[in-house]
Amino acid sequence: MNNFLLYLFLLPKALWRFMGADINQLRAILKVKLMLDDRKPLSMGRQQAQGKKPFRFMTALSVFLSALLGFMYIFPLFLEDKFMGLWIYFSVFLLMLSVMLIMDFSTVLFDTRDKTILLPRPINERTLLLSRLLHMFIYLFRIVFPMSLAGWITFTMQTSWVAALWFPFAILMMTVVALFLVILCYLLVLRFSKPGKFKDVINYFQIGFSVLFFACVYLMPRAVNNEGFQQLKHIDFQWAAFTPTYWLAASWSWFQPDKFWAATKWISILSIVGPLLLVWLTVKYLSPSFAARIGNIDVADNAEAKPTPESIKKSENSFYLKLANLLNKNPISKAGFSIAWLQTDRSRNFKMRVYPTFAYVPVYFFYITTQSDKPLAQIWANMPKTSIYVLLLYLTSFVVLQLLSMLVYSDQYKASWIYYSSPVVKPGLVMEGAFKGVWVKYFVPMFLLVSVFVLYVWGFARLLDIALAFVNITLFGLSVMRVAHRRLPFSAMEQMNEKGNRFLKTLFVMLLPMSLGFAHYAIVGAADSVPFLFWLKVLFLVLSSILLWMLWDSYKNTSWDQLKKVDLA
Amino acid sequence: MQPLISIQNVSKQYGEKTVLNNVNLDIYPGQILGYIGPNGAGKSTTVKILTGVIQDYTGTVLVNGKDIREDILGLKQMIGYVPELADLYDLLTPNEYLHFVGALYNIPDNVITERAKRILQSFGLVDNINQRMDSFSKGMRQKVLLTAGILHNPSIVILDEPMSGLDANAVIVVKELLQVLKQEGKTIFYCSHMMDVVEKVSDKIVLIDKGTIIANDTIEALREGSSNSLETIFAQMTSTGNMNETAGNILQAMQDK
Repeated sequence: MNNFLLYLFLLPKALWRFMGADINQLRAILKVKLMLDDRKPLSMGRQQAQGKKPFRFMTALSVFLSALLGFMYIFPLFLEDKFMGLWIYFSVFLLMLSVMLIMDFSTVLFDTRDKTILLPRPINERTLLLSRLLHMFIYLFRIVFPMSLAGWITFTMQTSWVAALWFPFAILMMTVVALFLVILCYLLVLRFSKPGKFKDVINYFQIGFSVLFFACVYLMPRAVNNEGFQQLKHIDFQWAAFTPTYWLAASWSWFQPDKFWAATKWISILSIVGPLLLVWLTVKYLSPSFAARIGNIDVADNAEAKPTPESIKKSENSFYLKLANLLNKNPISKAGFSIAWLQTDRSRNFKMRVYPTFAYVPVYFFYITTQSDKPLAQIWANMPKTSIYVLLLYLTSFVVLQLLSMLVYSDQYKASWIYYSSPVVKPGLVMEGAFKGVWVKYFVPMFLLVSVFVLYVWGFARLLDIALAFVNITLFGLSVMRVAHRRLPFSAMEQMNEKGNRFLKTLFVMLLPMSLGFAHYAIVGAADSVPFLFWLKVLFLVLSSILLWMLWDSYKNTSWDQLKKVDLA
Repeated sequence: MQPLISIQNVSKQYGEKTVLNNVNLDIYPGQILGYIGPNGAGKSTTVKILTGVIQDYTGTVLVNGKDIREDILGLKQMIGYVPELADLYDLLTPNEYLHFVGALYNIPDNVITERAKRILQSFGLVDNINQRMDSFSKGMRQKVLLTAGILHNPSIVILDEPMSGLDANAVIVVKELLQVLKQEGKTIFYCSHMMDVVEKVSDKIVLIDKGTIIANDTIEALREGSSNSLETIFAQMTSTGNMNETAGNILQAMQDK
């Protein structure tokens, strides 16, 4: 794939040479850059784990995924009002592309290694500039081309062969708009946050995108089947005429002689003028200040940390320390609690992997409850009569699973040498503290939120169910840790391929919440036929608590030998 | 006098490869031992055995006359370890990291706070005590690691390339620190490639190559009356060929077309 792209973009050799570039150097630089792209994690969805073998076909995979992504938003093209369809299609595409670029560009733009690796070499400026531009183009091409493929084919088949020629033009103009938006967005972020914080902001964008993506996959089909959506007319959206995607949609009028499209003809001129204007604005005003601010990021990254007066004053009696003291008797458990709390607070990888799963709970719940064709208001009104709250309570175990597996994995797993050289009697004590740390920090607040919702909709009679679910999910979380992740916090390297037996083990522990949840659900569902329902639940609660206590004791007393067995497995 | 640390017939293999081959070594209280050797000679493995990180070796290591396998935790409590190229949780601040490490050694919070502040003060890092270490330079991280290594007042200090990345003034501070610790009766195990420093600070120098100890003496005895530097002695003992010849070969390779 890379070789082909490289060949394609180096075809106009004479032109590049005429522009003053050294072809051999240009090829060498581009080749390395494309190779690096190949080995860097994917931007969308899950990040590639730091496996031992780098995955060789990252580019091919990302092209394939982009093409799949292209299918996600083609259905507006099937709307009766073609204009409306194109407008929505371009708008969704523009949004997707911009967010993807915002996430991804940071790594392309801020590759500060260029400064130390390329600048000291005898490469002329033209070659350097051209290599950057071509890299950016190849990069965009690899994303935009596959993403537009589905729409391109669909629209051509719906209309005529002319569309096959027009579509790339519209996409090109849209890409220009996207670039403008991305640069504008970067500038705004840099304007309002410190350069050092920039990467954190990008991190939140990534989290937002994966939530958006996930919600779209689950909720879009239902929205499209909705009758209201099918009858959308562009006439009803006067304000849309101010959006660039509207102008792009209007440019199709050039090939449509009928009256319906004639009305938008004048505005279609903007589809060319608009993007050109944006290019001019970018080059004239945005680029210079952009370059300067990007330069600042470098400086902030490399400069030695300078103390700030506030940070010195920062008191040691932080909230987490109070909690750590309150919840842990043993100082070693306290250390585990603190490290879990602080590390999860600051690790971007942790946030990227765990935060989106919080959104799964409401999205899945919404998805499941709206499976029927009834209107939303009716579903909502009927809700207190159902026992779906049991499901909602147990849905939180998705978060638990991700949360806990990320507690043992870290990019900085090597830093765990400290546990081995310090006199830690039982590693179980550190693990116990770390477990408490993430439990109190993430699970308890989320579960409280869900509980408040359940109490609000279903009433206070559900308090016992909530308590039972809480104990059961904690039991589940602890079994996952005890069986699959009996390791010190942040001490393991993330492997792309989990070993087979660990997978089976994980599968096995997955059965636990399901069976506990089903048992819980069955009791609730059989409310009419079970005479002592309340006492049955109490019994269930007592049994689960005893089991939890036993498991806790075993986990807490994990010895070095038990830990090693897991390491070798 | 009884040696504080006595390594007896210690061997260690990684699969087929023998990393340590029947190592015997005695270290006495209040001694600074310079432990040198080429890359891959077995220095780090020795250190890992001494710190209790590696436990599957053959032979015996006695500390205070007791086999360390019998009381590994007691050993770890006695030892302060500053590893080479050490990873640390750099998303934490020095203050948070040192409190974390201190808790693993069971030191009370207020003691950690006080000691951390005073040691970092001496290293000129106290102003950065509440700043995340991900923006720290290599030397600044090294200072934090040094602090973490001596925070619990250990009687044995094991240093693996402690000077790496340190600025000139900090190197002087660490050298002085070694002397002060020695006067306090602490035993210091010092691994390094920086021959000039090893030569100056060590009471005794141990040279290890390919898993075997090939020299174990004072610098004066190693010189055998000559005025050779440790660097020269090291090269004579460990290199397979003539260094001048090697450099000549490199030059030749550069110029050949």
